[in-house]
Amino acid sequence: MSTLDLTSLTWISLADQPILETGATVFAFLAATRISRLGGNHPLLNPTLLAIILISLGLEATHIPYKTYLRGADPINFMLGPAVVLLAVPLFRQRTVIRASARLIAVGLGVGLPVGVLSAVGIAWTMGASSQTILSLAPKSVTAGIAVGISEQIGGLQTLTIVLVIMTGITGAVLGPLVARLARVDDPRVVGLTMGIASHGIGTARALQISEVAGAFSGLGMGLNGVLTAILLPLIFRLF
Amino acid sequence: MLEQIARVLLWLSVGEIAARSGLWPLPAPVTGLILLYAELAVRGRLPDDLGILADRLLQFLGMLFVPAGVGVIAYLDVFKTEATPILAAVIGGTAITLFVTMVVVNLLGRTIAKSREPGSECVEGAERDVNA
Repeated sequence: MSTLDLTSLTWISLADQPILETGATVFAFLAATRISRLGGNHPLLNPTLLAIILISLGLEATHIPYKTYLRGADPINFMLGPAVVLLAVPLFRQRTVIRASARLIAVGLGVGLPVGVLSAVGIAWTMGASSQTILSLAPKSVTAGIAVGISEQIGGLQTLTIVLVIMTGITGAVLGPLVARLARVDDPRVVGLTMGIASHGIGTARALQISEVAGAFSGLGMGLNGVLTAILLPLIFRLF
Repeated sequence: MLEQIARVLLWLSVGEIAARSGLWPLPAPVTGLILLYAELAVRGRLPDDLGILADRLLQFLGMLFVPAGVGVIAYLDVFKTEATPILAAVIGGTAITLFVTMVVVNLLGRTIAKSREPGSECVEGAERDVNA
């Protein structure tokens, strides 16, 4: 290698330090959390979405390619797998609730899971979306950590799925209480469960503001919907 | 605490081996989730440290999606050209899911509440005892 390459080499080795990207991500998320709190935790001010926007603007401004950033932020990516495994803990804590309302939960999943997938896939297909977009949309109601895995298995784009999942969560958090009023449903178990099934963790955060019962059922809906969708979707897509 | 981290990584690794074999359709973390839940169900109790580990890590779960989510800037073209079907699917699909699920489950919830009073309550109580 010629001496001329030295400067660029130094730059690359600096950019390879994972601390910079990891640190920037943590700071961006902290800032996003603050902004969200200042706005009264409004669902539209979702910290994940705000942090994604902040980092994207930062990358645009500094001309750092996405791949470089992703390599640097790998420690954060790595933690996603263990975090999904740990979702077993809140589910285990809710096991008595699961048993006590087993039928309600079973029907909620039996309706919400297929309607969630088919409505999204159906609308996108009717409106002429590409197959890659349709596949990325299929797991949109599932909590992001699981949705990414499903998307990869069925041939969607992981990054597109993540953004669609967040958009779905925000939509569900905003619409959930409105739809409940429109449908004249005031059972907090039903409202919570549905919001968890339709809009995962972001919906669950909103359901927790309604009541503790709604929050618990929402967390349940999210967890069970995630696991069941991960089992069913790849199997169904294998048939085609 | 290290023991609990090892436990999580162990189940995650089993999930990864299963996923890599090509015979098992679930993403590795989901397999790990199911295995950890099964282990806890068999033990019948949650180790304190595992509860703490879960609470701490899940507290900033939202941050863990940021690096992958930023990748969407690489697909801005897809978003621009397919913005209408994407928005319709996300907003319309979610609204339909919320409405249909709430109405159906609420109907069932009411019938259960009416039909159950003494009988099924008993069964539930028994289940709870077994669980405790």
